[in-house]
Amino acid sequence: MRFVKFLIYGVPLLLVLLFAGAFWNATQLSTSRKNEMIIGSIGEPTKINPILSTDSAASEVASLLFEGLLRYSSDLELEPALAKEFSLSQTTTFFFASPESALAAREILLGLRDRWAEWTLRDVAAEGRELRLDLTQPGLDTSILIADLLGIEPITSIAQIRAEVGDKARELLAAFRAAHPEIDVVREWFDYDAVFEVSVLGDGASIAKTLKTFLKEQKIENLVVTALDKQDFLAEPVVRFVLRDGVLWQDGVAFSSRDVAFTFWALTDASIGSPRKPDFDLIQSLETPTPLEVVVTYRKPFSPALASWTMSIIPAHILEGKPIAWWDEFFHRNPVGLGPFKFVEWKTNEYIRLERNPIYYDGAPWLDAIVFRTLPDPIANRLAFETRQVDYWNVDPWAVKAFQEDARFDVFSAPAKQYNWVGWNLRLPIFQDLRVRQAFAHAVNVPEMIKYVLYGNGVQSTGIFPPMYWFANSDVEPIPYDPDRARALLDEAGWEVGSDGIRVKDGERLSFKLITNQGNETRKDIATLVQDNLKGIGVEVEVEIYEWAVFISRFVMKQEFESLVLAWTTPPDYDAFQVWHSSQTNPDQLNLVGYNNPKVDRMIEQLRQEYDRDKIIEMAGEIQRTIYDDQPFLFLYVPDSTSVIWKDSFRIRRPAPDGGWMDTPVEMTKAGWSYYLQWFYRPEYADKLPPVEVPQS
Amino acid sequence: MTSFIIRRLLITLVLVFFISIVSFFIITLTPGSPYPWGELDPKISQTVKDNFRKQFHLDEPIWKQYYLNMRGLFSGDLRSVKDGRPVLERIGERLPATLALNVCAIVISLSFGLLIGVYSARNAGRWPDVTLSVLSFAMLALPSFWVSYLVVIGITDWFGTPLLGTSSYGTVFPNAASQFLDYAWHLALPASLLALGGIAAQSRYIRASMIETLNEDYIRTARAKGLDEETVSYKHALRNSIRPLITGIGGLLPALIGGSIIIESIFAYPGIGRLGYQAVLERDYPTLIALNFITAALVLLGNLLADILYAAVDPRVRLE
Repeated sequence: MRFVKFLIYGVPLLLVLLFAGAFWNATQLSTSRKNEMIIGSIGEPTKINPILSTDSAASEVASLLFEGLLRYSSDLELEPALAKEFSLSQTTTFFFASPESALAAREILLGLRDRWAEWTLRDVAAEGRELRLDLTQPGLDTSILIADLLGIEPITSIAQIRAEVGDKARELLAAFRAAHPEIDVVREWFDYDAVFEVSVLGDGASIAKTLKTFLKEQKIENLVVTALDKQDFLAEPVVRFVLRDGVLWQDGVAFSSRDVAFTFWALTDASIGSPRKPDFDLIQSLETPTPLEVVVTYRKPFSPALASWTMSIIPAHILEGKPIAWWDEFFHRNPVGLGPFKFVEWKTNEYIRLERNPIYYDGAPWLDAIVFRTLPDPIANRLAFETRQVDYWNVDPWAVKAFQEDARFDVFSAPAKQYNWVGWNLRLPIFQDLRVRQAFAHAVNVPEMIKYVLYGNGVQSTGIFPPMYWFANSDVEPIPYDPDRARALLDEAGWEVGSDGIRVKDGERLSFKLITNQGNETRKDIATLVQDNLKGIGVEVEVEIYEWAVFISRFVMKQEFESLVLAWTTPPDYDAFQVWHSSQTNPDQLNLVGYNNPKVDRMIEQLRQEYDRDKIIEMAGEIQRTIYDDQPFLFLYVPDSTSVIWKDSFRIRRPAPDGGWMDTPVEMTKAGWSYYLQWFYRPEYADKLPPVEVPQS
Repeated sequence: MTSFIIRRLLITLVLVFFISIVSFFIITLTPGSPYPWGELDPKISQTVKDNFRKQFHLDEPIWKQYYLNMRGLFSGDLRSVKDGRPVLERIGERLPATLALNVCAIVISLSFGLLIGVYSARNAGRWPDVTLSVLSFAMLALPSFWVSYLVVIGITDWFGTPLLGTSSYGTVFPNAASQFLDYAWHLALPASLLALGGIAAQSRYIRASMIETLNEDYIRTARAKGLDEETVSYKHALRNSIRPLITGIGGLLPALIGGSIIIESIFAYPGIGRLGYQAVLERDYPTLIALNFITAALVLLGNLLADILYAAVDPRVRLE
């Protein structure tokens, strides 16, 4: 009976005592901080591998562990990182009917040496039927000029043929070349083993036909053979990287061009299945003449591709020859990189601990460790921040003001790399009239939306490039809120106010559905405000909200919607092809609203081939302005992203531009407040740091 | 008895098989895709998508997908679409923390349930019983996320003590005892909140069953024999009142590895509940299939166990 009584009364009593003791202990814990930064993140990283992960939690961790050949500066411009320097050039190849004509053409160009500087021409070589121009500047203009000068006639045109075979592309192409030795294949490229593209000399259409007949005989399902553009020459840009000497992986092994070649292989191999592959699809070859040299040849001029070399490099000495399952089980849970912090421990759903990498090539960080804690609940995140269990918090718009007014905190705010919009499906007649879209833009009160939805934390969007990028057009003026102008525009377009207050034209009411996804309160608010604002000018909007997966698969990707609220996240990339080019308007493509402006198409194509910085700024600006004027979207706003940290928990001591060290408080850059993370330190550990020689603020 | 167990085991096997089919179809027919990238990522090409579908057999007919998934599950080679690791390993690594939390919650709910139930029954109808009854119903009725938030916010605001995860991060512990107490503190809160409903339910069952027992003739006889009230309650009445606890044991088996999405999320506790929740959000079919299968099997085994125990404790029950 004593035992029974113990069970009933004793166990609960013991539990209460233990609980009380544990609570007392928790209140007594020391509040002194280690020389570490603790970061809270909502999501758990999937796999820590820069070439495979697409989630932001994994990218955030990987960005500290790994390093790329290039990186973004604090102004979001490309700068060398693992590559000490890089240079651009281009090989343009002409094919002639005979070696004699090639030699003759070379003579002509040699005779015009005084114009080489203007053409950026460095050298001319003839080999067999080929004439190769070595240009210091990639692009098409010069090559077209020289082609015109040489005369089209002796030049054999080059046709591009693409064959989608599903499987065994390499084998099939080899068989085809063996069966048809008369066809001159000058370049071949494989998209996994599923697709091949060849450049052939001669008549593309007839060769494509021959190829198709050949492949049909091999009984290939879903065969697609397309003859792509005809060209007069091959323009192949070359990027040459010179790597830093003496860089070591975190395990002490030397970094070399072999790692770059391996990373490129991993990015493009089917067994790895990297989602980042398409960024590297334009590469014809990657060569490593020496351990410190990488030469990348592209299939055609495509300047945005340069940015893809910010891609982190992964270690060949660890991963080469290992199957992907091994990567998943071992490397992705215990990665080795070249970045400022090295991996130490990952406790699933709890934390990932990184410690300073003492052999980081750019100088070892001051902080001993960075810890990413997974805190899945937004309120838990805030509480963890308030109990100093994490060092910063990404504040929701509604809370920004309270933190700004609280002297205990530093608040960092800057426009996020995204813009929110309402898209009009331009395939539908009612949205095809520009005046109607302009009327909508005048009717929706965006400043008020920013005030109420974002509590003032955002700026009105002026088009497809957010303002922090160097190529964004800062001269575009946002369309002002002017409901009278909106009404006038609708009147002008023939939409007359009907008996129920809704405008009518030819018996059709100006009424449509506006859809968005569940779970995003901001978008719901936007939809409601748009509905209300448009009602004011006699437009009926019906708002419908769908679960995300349904919203995407049933409406957005099928492009079966009337209008929708969504946002685009924008990387520092001026290529607008996927979202704005008229070739991308089919289902599953991303020109969702079906925007089609031949002028913009042409500019987008030209911009991709342009390497000159000033011209890029000019052309990107023009694209942004033209699209804004066309109003395929009602461009709403670029929200601010705001972080808050406890005042004085960190300072920065970083190398001053003119030698020595500079010491500053944590401050905002275009790349965020934590751009100089490597040089962050806790003031209580300042004695470990080198002395400041150049006093600053 | 043996033939009963064998028969029940066979039925359980068939049931598990059907459950696995139904749950597989429910999982895979939900809208959404397990692609690791966003549907609206402009940089993903068709060949990359096709390659991914091939890797995870998503291009196969659905019956074949079911077969491949089940074969993978039993050979231990079923891998998460999300991080490519074997799902059993993903579940296994969350097991210690999950077991710790659930064992604590079960101990708390059973011990406090017993205490409150016995106390209420012995004081049936008087004010302590009424108060405890109201409290029990309140505990059952209050949504756990609401109570959890109140507790978490209250403790943070009033005491400023860390309470998320499994330990106070970034602090230096003076000794091992302090570290252990810190661990206990991080376990105690989510376990207590997880146990709230259990305490309420158990105490109600025991109270009702004990009141009924106390009205039995043999209790009157015991009292008439002149036994003191303590012996009557604890020796004679209690023994016959714990049958509802045994019924509850059937539910304990799945509860041991089951998780609570809400409490684990709010307390950032690394349990299986969050694994399942993430898997649902990410459409990580293999992980969901494994979790569903294991849970279904445990529920059925738990029921079987409860039946057998019932017969063991109560000689009146015969298993045929």
